[in-house]
Amino acid sequence: MMKQTLTAMAVALAALTAGHATTAHADGKLIVSSPQDPGSWDPIDTFLVNWASLATNVFEGLTYRGPDMKLVPGLATSWEVLDDGLRIRFALREGVTFHNGEDFNAEAVKFTFERLLGDEGAKGPQQANYTAIEYVEIIDDYTVDFHLSQPDAVLLTKLAGYGAMIVPPKYITEMGDDVFNTKPVGTGPFKMVSYEPKIGVQLEANADYWDGAPQLAELEYRFITEPATALAELQSGGVDLVIPPTIPVGMIPTIEADDNLELVTTAGPTVTALRFDTSRGITADADVRKALIMAVDRETIVNSVLGGQASVIASFQGERSFGHDPALKPLPFDPEGAKALLEKAGVAPGATVEINTRGNDATFNEVTQAVAAYLGMVGVTATIKPYETNVLLNDIIPQGKTGEMFQQSWGGWTFDFDNTAYAMYHTGQKWNPYDSDPQLDEMLEAQRPLTDQAERERLLQEIATYAADRALEMPLYNLNAIYATNKRVQNFEPAPDNRLKLNKVSVQ
Amino acid sequence: MAGFLLKRLAQAVFVVMVVTLIVSVAVRMTGDPAMMIAQGATDITEADLERIREGLGLNEPFLSQYLATLSGLFTWDFGRSFLGGTPVSTLIGNALPATLLLAFTSLLVSIVISIPLGIRAAIRRGKWEDQLIRILSLVGLSFPNFWLATMLVLLFSITLQWLPPSGMNGIASFIMPAVTMGIILTATNVRLVRTSMLEVMQSQYIMVARAKGLSERTVLYKHALRNCAIPLITFLGLQFGGLLGGIVVVERVFNWPGMGSLAFDAVAGRDYPVLQSVIMILSTLIVLVNLLVDIAYGLIDPRIRTE
Repeated sequence: MMKQTLTAMAVALAALTAGHATTAHADGKLIVSSPQDPGSWDPIDTFLVNWASLATNVFEGLTYRGPDMKLVPGLATSWEVLDDGLRIRFALREGVTFHNGEDFNAEAVKFTFERLLGDEGAKGPQQANYTAIEYVEIIDDYTVDFHLSQPDAVLLTKLAGYGAMIVPPKYITEMGDDVFNTKPVGTGPFKMVSYEPKIGVQLEANADYWDGAPQLAELEYRFITEPATALAELQSGGVDLVIPPTIPVGMIPTIEADDNLELVTTAGPTVTALRFDTSRGITADADVRKALIMAVDRETIVNSVLGGQASVIASFQGERSFGHDPALKPLPFDPEGAKALLEKAGVAPGATVEINTRGNDATFNEVTQAVAAYLGMVGVTATIKPYETNVLLNDIIPQGKTGEMFQQSWGGWTFDFDNTAYAMYHTGQKWNPYDSDPQLDEMLEAQRPLTDQAERERLLQEIATYAADRALEMPLYNLNAIYATNKRVQNFEPAPDNRLKLNKVSVQ
Repeated sequence: MAGFLLKRLAQAVFVVMVVTLIVSVAVRMTGDPAMMIAQGATDITEADLERIREGLGLNEPFLSQYLATLSGLFTWDFGRSFLGGTPVSTLIGNALPATLLLAFTSLLVSIVISIPLGIRAAIRRGKWEDQLIRILSLVGLSFPNFWLATMLVLLFSITLQWLPPSGMNGIASFIMPAVTMGIILTATNVRLVRTSMLEVMQSQYIMVARAKGLSERTVLYKHALRNCAIPLITFLGLQFGGLLGGIVVVERVFNWPGMGSLAFDAVAGRDYPVLQSVIMILSTLIVLVNLLVDIAYGLIDPRIRTE
């Protein structure tokens, strides 16, 4: 009887699974695994990168920045910066329609920014990024002027993403915000067909897309948070592409060992440093801070702990960042020099530092253990104290309750060093609980209003050099954005900022 | 009976209120949802955060926020998720059936396996079959469910490619999660069925039944098994509560769109309305199931009804 039951179960299983194998993929369909459901598709509601990793296919901004990081025309065909940066004139693309048939024109641009900067935008996090815009003036149907209250050097980049996505006025006015949250309409290469909260999104090609119909007929996103689950789906053919932030470094060997899969990585926006409490303890002394940096072999950490999926940094930015200075080199790994510096500073062997990390960041906790071991070799005893990520970010760091060193992983999608430097170094900023340096404040303020980008880049490089001289943090590395695809996926280009636009991608 | 029920009902309401209150207070001590929402914003100021908090209703007094959550049990309006503003009732409306379906399937799996095995072990007491079943149930008990889940996925999804590794999509997708949960329950249930069967088989009425010349089959299934039902039902009721708690891990591994996944995301995102509502509904369910178990006693065993 037992045997019969088992046979029956095996037959039933085979019958069920036959269905699974055939329904997985239709022709011309790509399935993406994304780790988070942003909950709303309205551009002004969210700041989650996984909003952008889908919504970049649905919405477009006036400017566009693709995987090559170059700012190019989007819904605007050209622009002109006027009045010392206080006015920007955009010529708009003609003949573009939203997915619902509505015309894209100057009215839509004006509506988008009035909504973002008005009461509706005030409820969300996006408004704060666009406050330099005073108002949008319609010159004619396909020309608009942006009037700014102050020059904003990063504005053109910011218009390429997130809150600045152009939305359809008639659709939103008639259907209301709730409908727009779940059934968004844009001008992008894919139209949203359905959205099931926490489960996934179905999209179809927008055949009328102004830049040519996409290669794929259908696109599906599934929300899978667990890295192991996402990888299992990829290995079994349930999904074709796993996007960041999903795959931890530890899973890379599994992907590389699978002949059907391909690992695709590119330097991402996130840089990681161990910042110092510059106000007390042994880390109040700049020479001690330098000694601690020199004591740690960051190159080896990147190669052994991170599988080479990162690059060592000299300041708190990666090489794609605007403000990166190729001439600025990381302090060399030099334990003897470190010991000498420590001795000169009067730090006796056995001195202690506490390092605070994000407890759920397993990879970084391995990195920290390596750091602690290196510090031990120069006579500094490091204890590691992890906190729950949100507690560390919302409580411990802003209130200045960290140990001598603490983890900070940072990076804005704009890849502009101002974003990092101002938040980290300016007096009184939430992320800068310890340091106050009037000269640095002045440098940070001076570059902000500049419209001359070359000059601003020079000033940002100076800031990076200044911060490195003071050794305000132990710069560690710039992590790669890790994508994994099934080899049937063609023409996939990894987006450093996770803003995926999949119109050129096809499947075999 | 009526007095007893009323008392139990009052207890149930009290439990749900206390659980919800504890969760509401605790979650508010772990971080600011406005900060979560503003993560990644470049120039966020305290004024911006304040504006977001106001929009979320976090500036209301705690008591009115708490009462608003509680009232959801009666109005089915639990407010909106902090992340994206989806009505919490929509999220729960999707997640609750998914979780209940999985929980019932798991119970079913465990009942279907454990009753025949338990009976077999009892009638073959001390023989090799009994030993084997007892060892297997010990092994089953010792499995951490996340490990079992991972192994199943490795075998049936990656190596054999028979079953989908995640999601809720058709009957095939139920197999691995239900088996994972079911096996651990089975382990305990087999032992329970075995012990209570053994106890019942010793009793005088079984001897009478046998003496009457009834077939062994009738004795077992009609007389013995029915008398095992009381401890079994109590235990299944308790297990159902445990199931709902333990389901978080299994839902996570299989990306099951249920209450566990919802709660997990809500904790990570400091999504107060979602978290509070999920906990409130789960605790209400557990309390209700226990209440039903008490009532079921009376139905199965007339002795309890008359007392």
